[in-house]
Amino acid sequence: MAIHLSESLKLGLADILLRKVRSVVTVIGIVLGVMCIMVVLAIVSGMNKSTMTWMQERGGLSKIEVYPNWNYNYAQGGQASFNLRELRFIRSQIPEALAFNPSASNWETVLRYGEMRFRSTVVGVMPDFTIVEEWTADRGRFIKDIDIDENSNVIVLGSNVAEEMFFGRNPLGEYVNLEGQKMQVVGVMKHRYMQTQGGEASFGDNALDYLNERSFIPISTLLSKIDPVSRIQSLDIRASSPEAASGLRKKVEHVILNLKAGKKLFEVRSAKEEMDSMKANSRIFGAIFVLIAVISLLVGGIVIMNIMLAAIKERTREIGVRLAIGARGRDIFLQFLVQTMLITTLGGALGILLGFGIIGQVGKYLQLTVAASFQMIWAALLVSAGVGMIFGVFPAIRAARLDPVIALREE
Amino acid sequence: MEIIRTQNLIKDYNLGKIKVRALSGIDLSIRKGEFVAIMGPSGSGKSTLMHIIGCLDRPSEGQYYLDEILVSKMPRSALATVRNRKIGFVFQSFNLLPHLNILKNVELPLMYGGMSAGKRKLRAREILEQVGLGDRLRHKPTELSGGQRQRVAIARAIVNDPAILLADEPTGNLDSQAGGDILEMFNNLHKTGNTVIMVTHDQAIANRADRIIRIMDGKIVDGDTP
Repeated sequence: MAIHLSESLKLGLADILLRKVRSVVTVIGIVLGVMCIMVVLAIVSGMNKSTMTWMQERGGLSKIEVYPNWNYNYAQGGQASFNLRELRFIRSQIPEALAFNPSASNWETVLRYGEMRFRSTVVGVMPDFTIVEEWTADRGRFIKDIDIDENSNVIVLGSNVAEEMFFGRNPLGEYVNLEGQKMQVVGVMKHRYMQTQGGEASFGDNALDYLNERSFIPISTLLSKIDPVSRIQSLDIRASSPEAASGLRKKVEHVILNLKAGKKLFEVRSAKEEMDSMKANSRIFGAIFVLIAVISLLVGGIVIMNIMLAAIKERTREIGVRLAIGARGRDIFLQFLVQTMLITTLGGALGILLGFGIIGQVGKYLQLTVAASFQMIWAALLVSAGVGMIFGVFPAIRAARLDPVIALREE
Repeated sequence: MEIIRTQNLIKDYNLGKIKVRALSGIDLSIRKGEFVAIMGPSGSGKSTLMHIIGCLDRPSEGQYYLDEILVSKMPRSALATVRNRKIGFVFQSFNLLPHLNILKNVELPLMYGGMSAGKRKLRAREILEQVGLGDRLRHKPTELSGGQRQRVAIARAIVNDPAILLADEPTGNLDSQAGGDILEMFNNLHKTGNTVIMVTHDQAIANRADRIIRIMDGKIVDGDTP
């Protein structure tokens, strides 16, 4: 003939409402702890999400990059660049690669069209650029194999370049002057856009706008006519899938090492592996913050335990009366355990509300992308109920074990 | 029929190294429907005896049969059930729960007895009407006079229809007018067949009982059998 759980819940709720101030003080630790957990989880999952988005925008997870090893000691000899013959050799060694694009940049180039001048980064590319970067011309065409073979004087403009030099007129077929060479505009690249994280104003709101200021010419034209000094120092390679990227990266590393007589002149990096190590970092970061939040919950739990012990001391006579009229130890135990769990769960719910309230503000202040989810709500509720259970057990056992005779004597 | 029968009840308390014998061999029998007063000076053991009779405490030795059930060896949780079903307590200081209204106070024994919320509300209201407080159901104990509070306590004691009513100085905190009313209530309860056991130090009150049991130094010196 134990009393039902619903009775315990009603009792607990009535007690909480009766002692409102005490209840609020009791759960402040839980409220803040849960709030912290919410914010941290939102930041961590937001960071993962924006890293992912960034990676996707930069060419996805099957991308492999080759670039000079800045730590290389050139006293050992060797040059961190490739000629066209070496490029063809590397390509022939990795037929499984989906795409292969070396790029040589001339960072200081000015394009001229009539009286118009535009400072643009001109990049020497091969046709596979469109596959590697998942980016192509949406007006006209991109660089073709025949342009490479014939050192053609053709150029594909970035969308900002086309807009600023031609004011909305059709640039296709026009000629622009590049370092004294007349280059025919054969295409305009698709405009790239990505919302700047946190909406920072100083760089505008497009994190990828620098790409729209680039222009593209055949790599052979660049090397033979525009800038013979320019070197091919980086390669972009695309694996058939993110899973294949790691294996392909090792193979490319091996091929280049053989080509350069065992000298480690180049770094080879896979986006997938980068991403994995970034994720591992963010997991560590998240784990540290979760640990801090857990410690704050533990402190909150200890506070709750003390307040419950004090409350039970204060209510000893009431417990005595309840025992005298037939409450069993189990009924008293449940009454106080349920009350503690109820109070921490309500505190947790409050923490969730506050957490959601400030997540947006925190994201804005830290200029981070934050992502809240329903799993976080369940986790927070579960954790706060768990804290109530863990720290409510001892006071509840104390209450349940009171001797009715002694309890009734208490003033 | 005997509602209470004890054989050689002994109760020892361990106060550190010293062992104190509060009851030393109580043989007592009380018939169903009797009105009994227990008298004795303070320190005589009458409180200890009352606690054992009320199943709040267990004897160190000896047997106690309540309503023909041997309760002296029962575990704590079973004793709680016995208290709930067989015993109605009335205390000197009322012992109502101050934050509950009087209806809820009277409902408590029924709640611990497992009765549904709807049923126990009806039953508690019925009993409170019986003790003349039907128009005060939503009042808190603090909004009532001492006499009214003790009537609520009596309502709570009888709401479960217990085998014995156990009253510990029930008029001790009341003026003579209110005390008289409460004693009259106990008289009426006795007349309608209830077994009433009242602990008191007041000879005039004890005289209203069928029998006076006197305790001295942990022993019954008078009135051990009907």
